[in-house]
Amino acid sequence: MKPVIDLRLCKGCNVCVYICPKKCYSRGAGISELGYYAAVVSAAEKCYNHKREGKLICELCVLSCPDQAISWHPETEEDLKK
Amino acid sequence: MKAAKGEFFLQGNEACVEGAIGSGIRFFAGYPITPSTEIAEGLAQRLRGTNGVFLQMEDEIACISAIIGASWGGVKSMTATSGPGFSLMQEAIGYAAMSETPIVIVNVMRGGPSTGQPTRASQGDVMQTKYGSHGDYQVIAFAPASVQEMFDLTVESFNYAEKYRVPAFLLSDAEVGHMRGLLSVPENLKIVDRKEKGIKRADEAYDVPDDLVHPFPTFGKGHKAMITGMTHAEDSRIEPEDVRTHQELVKRLSDKILKNRKDINKWELVSPGSKTMIISYGSSALGPKEVAAKDERVGLLRLKSLWPLPEEPIYEVASQCERILVCEMNLGMMYWPIKRVALEAGCKKVELLSKIGGEPPTPSEVRHKLRGMGAI
Amino acid sequence: MDIFDFYRKDRWPHVFCPGCGNGTVMNCFYRAFSALNLPLDRTAFVGGIGCSSRIPLYISSDALHTTHGRAIAFATGLKLSKPDLKVVVFTGDGDLGAIGGNHFINGCRRNVDMTVICINNNIYGMTGGQASITTPHDFQSTTTPYGNREYPFDLAELAVAAGANYVARWTTRHVHELTKSMKTALQKKGFAFVEVISQCPVNFGRRNKMADPTQMLEWFKESSVRREKVRTAAVDHFDLNMAGQITVGEFVDRNRECYEELIGVEKHG
Ligand SMILES: Cc1ncc(C[n+]2csc(CCOP(=O)(O)OP(=O)(O)O)c2C)c(N)n1
Ligand code: SF4
Ligand code: SF4
Ligand code: SF4
Ligand SMILES: [Mg+2]
Repeated sequence: MKPVIDLRLCKGCNVCVYICPKKCYSRGAGISELGYYAAVVSAAEKCYNHKREGKLICELCVLSCPDQAISWHPETEEDLKK
Repeated sequence: MKAAKGEFFLQGNEACVEGAIGSGIRFFAGYPITPSTEIAEGLAQRLRGTNGVFLQMEDEIACISAIIGASWGGVKSMTATSGPGFSLMQEAIGYAAMSETPIVIVNVMRGGPSTGQPTRASQGDVMQTKYGSHGDYQVIAFAPASVQEMFDLTVESFNYAEKYRVPAFLLSDAEVGHMRGLLSVPENLKIVDRKEKGIKRADEAYDVPDDLVHPFPTFGKGHKAMITGMTHAEDSRIEPEDVRTHQELVKRLSDKILKNRKDINKWELVSPGSKTMIISYGSSALGPKEVAAKDERVGLLRLKSLWPLPEEPIYEVASQCERILVCEMNLGMMYWPIKRVALEAGCKKVELLSKIGGEPPTPSEVRHKLRGMGAI
Repeated sequence: MDIFDFYRKDRWPHVFCPGCGNGTVMNCFYRAFSALNLPLDRTAFVGGIGCSSRIPLYISSDALHTTHGRAIAFATGLKLSKPDLKVVVFTGDGDLGAIGGNHFINGCRRNVDMTVICINNNIYGMTGGQASITTPHDFQSTTTPYGNREYPFDLAELAVAAGANYVARWTTRHVHELTKSMKTALQKKGFAFVEVISQCPVNFGRRNKMADPTQMLEWFKESSVRREKVRTAAVDHFDLNMAGQITVGEFVDRNRECYEELIGVEKHG
């Protein structure tokens, strides 16, 4: 599974960037529709949950994100190749 | 929990306990204070072993907060206090008005301000009842003058609190609370239960239109109720900044009481049509009643409810008499709104007999005042 | 249950500032609640006044948003009038520990069955950053412009002394531990208290050289010490400040009879 940031919810606090032990997130460069520098998932393939199904581990990002902006999505063929 | 039926000889505060039981009280929270303590003690006794809860809280703010919480659990709840405790309750009274929570608050009034006269009667809290919390709101308040009325008007307090989703008050005083007398409990009490969301039944609470009193969303029934003291729209949307929403809400809360004055107000008339009318309430009406009974020149309008102000009977009395004497145990509180209505009705002579210190005005004090006015 | 089955999606994004710890606490609470498969319709949420106390209004169930400081008193009445309802209180350090302190200690003592989550951000967040009863010594706030002269309350120790059945404290840097404690608290019969040291970057961090929420999370991480490792429980960690420490962990887990059992109210249907 891979983490995805909902740009309609992210307020650009960068808590995910700080908390992720695998450095999957990075600071955003452009302003989102909501008016924030939304963070970006820059290296989903480094996540502990890469190629993992069912019960996920770590989840520090999802549990910490103050705006409920991060959720899990199934990985595509392309994601899985990484 | 069944109310005892029949005739009893007991204290005013004990009659209030019986009235609460008769109304189906399921939750009482109290904090000891003279001269209302017997109500808490009585309910501690009477609620034991029933499906009701008696709770002694850590202060009066906790008491009123707890009974509001209990009301949202769907039960009839009440607290009883006196001056200092009543002052502590003010913020939550506004909350109950804003959140439209049916609760009953008994205030056995004693002399204030501050600790004042703990064991002595007064009527000094009548304005606080209506104006004590911040903002515009309306409440319902009754003023008993006998042991029987301590019972009857406790029942009415519950009935009207339920019907209009509003805090209702029993404004008693040390004199009435501690007097002993006969109580007759009728076979069939008229009891009103709140109009509940999702439940339709033939009932008095359904007389009031939905646009003034909304059905009550009891907790735990899947209504997803959002109850708040903040300005909110009809669908529970919280809109503290919105001008219209605030206007509509506060106006409705006020209208649901003021537009139903005729349904709510209760009074007693002695010798209507007399040239001189006394207007009084609670224990300070006892002296005037004796005077009016013996002297055909004098009549009495005894208000059994104080809020909303019973404008109609006051207006009618004032338009037929030459002079009015208002009797109360404070330095003049109900005097002013009564005078306002009397002036509107064309009665220009409205005087005040005020007595503080803990004793209601005696018949001879009333006569003395009436002589001074040239009435007798 | 999806997170937005639990929370009212139509009210998102919520009002909390970017990086506010309240949202983190909400994630953990949702996880704990849904893991236990508790019926949401049979759970009522009560809040006082403050940013933290707003959380009940975001949950897709009955919410009683009350007056400042009195949430536990309201919750006591609600719970005892409907004993089969689960009652959860969300409150803040100011709401619970300052204006509501008396209801807090008596709530613990009375031990009514409820779960109380206190988001302790060491400040009055909603009113713009005035010192609270948990603002650390020497820290800045709008009402302590020369540093706080007072010393803070230890809410968790207070709850232990007052008789709560379950007491735990974590920070928003301990999301897994916090979720686990919330689960325990939700299952506990009696008064269960979970204190969460949380970041208010806007009104606390900004005035104390931690304007970035991640700086506050780092502070929590560095200052946290497990309770098991603290030699003498009550004294050492009394002084919560930069030089001091935040004691985290479970403080007590016991089974004193709860108030409902004591008065036999549970039988009421
Ligand atoms: C009786 C009363 N006094 C003061 C206030 C103003 N007030 C609103 S929120 C608040 C502080 C809340 O602080 P806390 O409980 O720590 O919540 P936070 O916003 O920090 O989450 C205060 C003092 C109020 N609403 N009611
Ligand atoms: S933690 Fe959430 S809100 Fe903050 S930057 Fe990351 S995705 Fe956005
Ligand atoms: S689950 Fe853990 S490793 Fe994966 S993105 Fe989130 S924080 Fe990083
Ligand atoms: S003021 Fe502080 S506590 Fe309130 S929402 Fe903002 S960051 Fe959170
Ligand atoms: Mg706070």
